[in-house]
Amino acid sequence: MSRFLFVVPPFFGHISPTLSIGSSLIARGHQVKWLGITPLDSKHIPEGGEFIYPEADLVEYQEEISRILKRQDDGPSCSGPEVMKLALEETYVPFARIMMKGLSNFVDDWKPDVIVNDCITFAGALCAKLKGIPSVTTTPVPPDVMGDTANSAPKIFEWQQQLIKALQEELGLYEEEIYIHSNKLNLVFTSQAFAGFEETPAHMKFVGPVKGRPNHAAFDWERLAAAKTPKVFVSLGTLLVDIRKAFFQKLIDAFAEEPVTIIAATNPDIFEQWPDNFIVNGFVPQSELMPHMDAVICHGGFNTVNDTFTNGLPMLITPIAYDHFHTAKLIVSAGCGISIRYKRLKIEDLKNSVFELLENPVYRHAALKIKETFIAAGGNDKAVQLLEDFAEAEQLLEKQN
Amino acid sequence: MDAIVKTSKLNNDEIFGLMKQFITEVIGEEFVEEMDITPQSSFTKDLEMDSIEIVSFSEKIKAHFGEQIDFTGWLSAMDLDQLINLNLEMIINYIQECQSSK
Repeated sequence: MSRFLFVVPPFFGHISPTLSIGSSLIARGHQVKWLGITPLDSKHIPEGGEFIYPEADLVEYQEEISRILKRQDDGPSCSGPEVMKLALEETYVPFARIMMKGLSNFVDDWKPDVIVNDCITFAGALCAKLKGIPSVTTTPVPPDVMGDTANSAPKIFEWQQQLIKALQEELGLYEEEIYIHSNKLNLVFTSQAFAGFEETPAHMKFVGPVKGRPNHAAFDWERLAAAKTPKVFVSLGTLLVDIRKAFFQKLIDAFAEEPVTIIAATNPDIFEQWPDNFIVNGFVPQSELMPHMDAVICHGGFNTVNDTFTNGLPMLITPIAYDHFHTAKLIVSAGCGISIRYKRLKIEDLKNSVFELLENPVYRHAALKIKETFIAAGGNDKAVQLLEDFAEAEQLLEKQN
Repeated sequence: MDAIVKTSKLNNDEIFGLMKQFITEVIGEEFVEEMDITPQSSFTKDLEMDSIEIVSFSEKIKAHFGEQIDFTGWLSAMDLDQLINLNLEMIINYIQECQSSK
């Protein structure tokens, strides 16, 4: 049995798939812990696991952490190139720096066999490299979202490389190679077909969506069962707080008088009153709800995208910022949905697109094809098998040396 | 009409008018109405063009001016700050340069 340490960022969308895999690893008898720079409510942690928040080593960074988290709200109003700066230079690199001390101390103490770092949580892979611990990377979104910058935008590629090398040098890694991701195993939570890759490096394994993380959110199932019109699930994810009200106002304008039932995952407090055909909850048991839906509207948060196509549902994606545009492109090219950029979203188009998705079967058929590729990718079982084989091979290698 | 047959050189005002027309075609009239497009308008910040819109804008430039203007090539040589600060005036100047070098 092995000890796995998942190193995660303070963004739930990135943590979520690791909770699902962690839960499966624990069920197989492994020891699993998570480490992050903000606390995580224990209700999210699978039984038998533990979330480490190295508070003492983070005291000096509290102000910086809050500032960076607050800065994420600017994402939706930033242009593409500004978002790249915001993400890499203002978020991922400083987070790695902030996390290193607490992570390093905990790793010395607990001695994990494998460090699993989320793709934007560079500290995990860098710490593993520094201490000679085998590492794996988890990638919740289709990779390569910034495009092939080495060829298409050499100056931007150069900027990325410089930032990362400077970080590595600061942490004591003076080699030319980039070590922020594992070069041995990278688990990607989508299918290769959906991600649009014909060929991939051997260490990149598309395992499809994973499930099974604890979610105890309550839901009014009777009210849902009583709804007789087509059901449309709407989610804006856990970030993007500032534009929440404007987004849901558009939905109300579009669907309040229409023969659909909107199931919205958002804090109901943003409006005093919701239309009768809206069922609104701050937290929902999303994966249990999805099989009862007929279509989904979301901005492109990857866990909702995965839940949608796992159930073969068509989607209206309204990309706002970050990797949403890349995801929207993949959905359009797979034919399983319609994309309207949030900034250009008109009420009339919103309404028409949803009825098009509900009435024209081509989208659902394409979504069912994606579902097949997701199932074939193997999910939790495949991810666990890859992790176990990796841990075993690395331990064998260590014994030989 | 977008046609490559155009041979006469355009002056700055004419290029600006053309750019405005392309932008309107790309992002839609009702969104342009809310904007005050000037030569100082930044491409990504003020006009809020995303990558897909920039690609269709580039295609319109190509359809109109032909191969003499490599707009995408020009963009891809930029660094992040140049992209962030890119405004219509810079595009107009670039098109002027390409026109006069022919």
